[in-house]
Amino acid sequence: MSDTDVVLSARELAKLYRRGVRALAGIDLDIPAGGITALVGPNAAGKSTLLKTWVGFERPSRGSVRVAGIDPWKDRSAALAHLGYVPQSPVLYDGLTVEDHLDLARQLRPGFDRDYARARLAQLDIPADRGGRDLSGGQQAQVALALALGTRAPILLLDEPLASLDPLARREFLQVLTDAVRGDGATALLSSHIVTDVEQACDRLVVLGVGRVLLHDSVATALADHGIVTGRSDSAVSTFPGPDGAPISLVRGPGERPATLDEVVLGYLASGRLTPAAAA
Amino acid sequence: MTGALTWARLSYRQQMWELLLVVLGVAGVTAGMLWFANTLTAMRAVNPECLAGIGGGFLGVPMEEGPAAACQAIIGQYYETESLASQLLNVAWAAPFGMGVILGAPLVAREIDGGTAPLAWSLSRSRMGWLLRRIAYVALFGLALLAVMAVASELLAAAILPDRTLDEDFTWFGRRGLLVAARGVGAIMLGVLVGAIIGRVLPAVLASAFVIALVFIGLSLAQDQLNQSQATLLRRDLESAQRPDVEVTGLAVAYGIETIDGEFVSYNEAFDRGLEPNYSGVGGKVYESEADIAAGRFIGHDAFLVIPGERYPELVLRDSVFAVFLGLTALAAAGVVVVRRRPA
Repeated sequence: MSDTDVVLSARELAKLYRRGVRALAGIDLDIPAGGITALVGPNAAGKSTLLKTWVGFERPSRGSVRVAGIDPWKDRSAALAHLGYVPQSPVLYDGLTVEDHLDLARQLRPGFDRDYARARLAQLDIPADRGGRDLSGGQQAQVALALALGTRAPILLLDEPLASLDPLARREFLQVLTDAVRGDGATALLSSHIVTDVEQACDRLVVLGVGRVLLHDSVATALADHGIVTGRSDSAVSTFPGPDGAPISLVRGPGERPATLDEVVLGYLASGRLTPAAAA
Repeated sequence: MTGALTWARLSYRQQMWELLLVVLGVAGVTAGMLWFANTLTAMRAVNPECLAGIGGGFLGVPMEEGPAAACQAIIGQYYETESLASQLLNVAWAAPFGMGVILGAPLVAREIDGGTAPLAWSLSRSRMGWLLRRIAYVALFGLALLAVMAVASELLAAAILPDRTLDEDFTWFGRRGLLVAARGVGAIMLGVLVGAIIGRVLPAVLASAFVIALVFIGLSLAQDQLNQSQATLLRRDLESAQRPDVEVTGLAVAYGIETIDGEFVSYNEAFDRGLEPNYSGVGGKVYESEADIAAGRFIGHDAFLVIPGERYPELVLRDSVFAVFLGLTALAAAGVVVVRRRPA
């Protein structure tokens, strides 16, 4: 991957919060341009921290990040010009209608495409005159997505927008995201811990566990390169409980059967838990 | 222009309840001021023979024989009305600080507390730009309201003291005119700063009340020191029924004695020095004991430091500049906080 293909990067990125809580432990990561990359990991894996560092909401304790080659802590304005961001549990303004939110975005972001955002919301029958907090969780997430898409930014960062949505709302959200990204040629990084949704929508996968990158590959390659064997295996990436509670192992190569994406993610998360670095 | 109107509308909707609260408060107080001003003026017009020279409570012209019996009830009613009217001038004094707590403190705190800051701060390329626009209309609106109250308070003061030239008079200093609005700038920005630091609405509101009070007390003490250094030393005669004009219209910044060496010391300082200015005599002379009075041994004269009424416009302007400068400093500090802090 050449540097010009990389739109988001992290180098030896570490983030230590007060009281010694370590969110990120020296991450090296390059997100290539185009498509949707899923950032998957359990709670407290550091997903939100990583995204917030790119947005300029968190300052790295060590290392650096770049957005389109720009350090957001040195030139936040230039970095943000490349970014659209959907916050975790999108919260809209209490006293503002959906249309007001579009007006607000237009005031805050030069070049905000209100018509584009409005059209996205109209497709979903989200009433423009409804108060932000009067919308369902799914609708609020869609408004937040429309605001991010309306920036027409080439990079979209989505911080667990699916977490509080029902399955139908999740599917609709991902459909809008997929259409927009594929239509505009944008790059999206979507953090989630719901692997099944990710599998349908995402092109690439980053598994993050205990503050480290455990796997970074295309979804297709991740599926093709891994298999499952019953019981324990010395050559396994890791061993973890299967659906019936019996141990199964994720292995590189065909195995006894192909691994599902869920199993690939679980296997790498389990491997992260076992490594000395993680234990430390 | 459209953008400005859009911001004004969005700002209003984001702080609708606080804005309505201050509008209602200011409207009520202003209406009260105008009503009392009108009532007092009308009472004077109806009963000029009884109320001539009356006004400002103790400031009435001396009446050696007391008011005529027919006037006593009218004068009593007038003073009662005037007393209530004066309370509204105290509200005008407190209003800017209330604005800081009600309008300033929640402005950024609610964005952080309510979780909208990540949305706004990711959309806006400059957080400082966001803050300035977020503040602008709310602050302007608050100042416009304070300006209305400031004008109304001047009208009320003029109605209470119709025979005085209030442009050269420190009576109700800080409770009327420009200083009311200027203090609003300082208080609102301090509220914004506290809200930006704390990031929670209720704690920010409570803390801002404390911080605004503390900062303005500090500012007031500093201004007192400045005033003392610029004040004129005047003797006063406590035994005399007639107070000199300068004592009535001036700003008395300290009371004490002028020692026989010509030095001014406050009463507290005098006691600290072992002097005991316990008795006042004819001509404002101060004695330590009855024996000293009998012997004619006085330790100085009753005196005070005063800034004459003519300097009223100058001090209003100076203190207004202080308040606005304080506000701009607080705004700059709030900008630094907003730029550096996490959105949640």
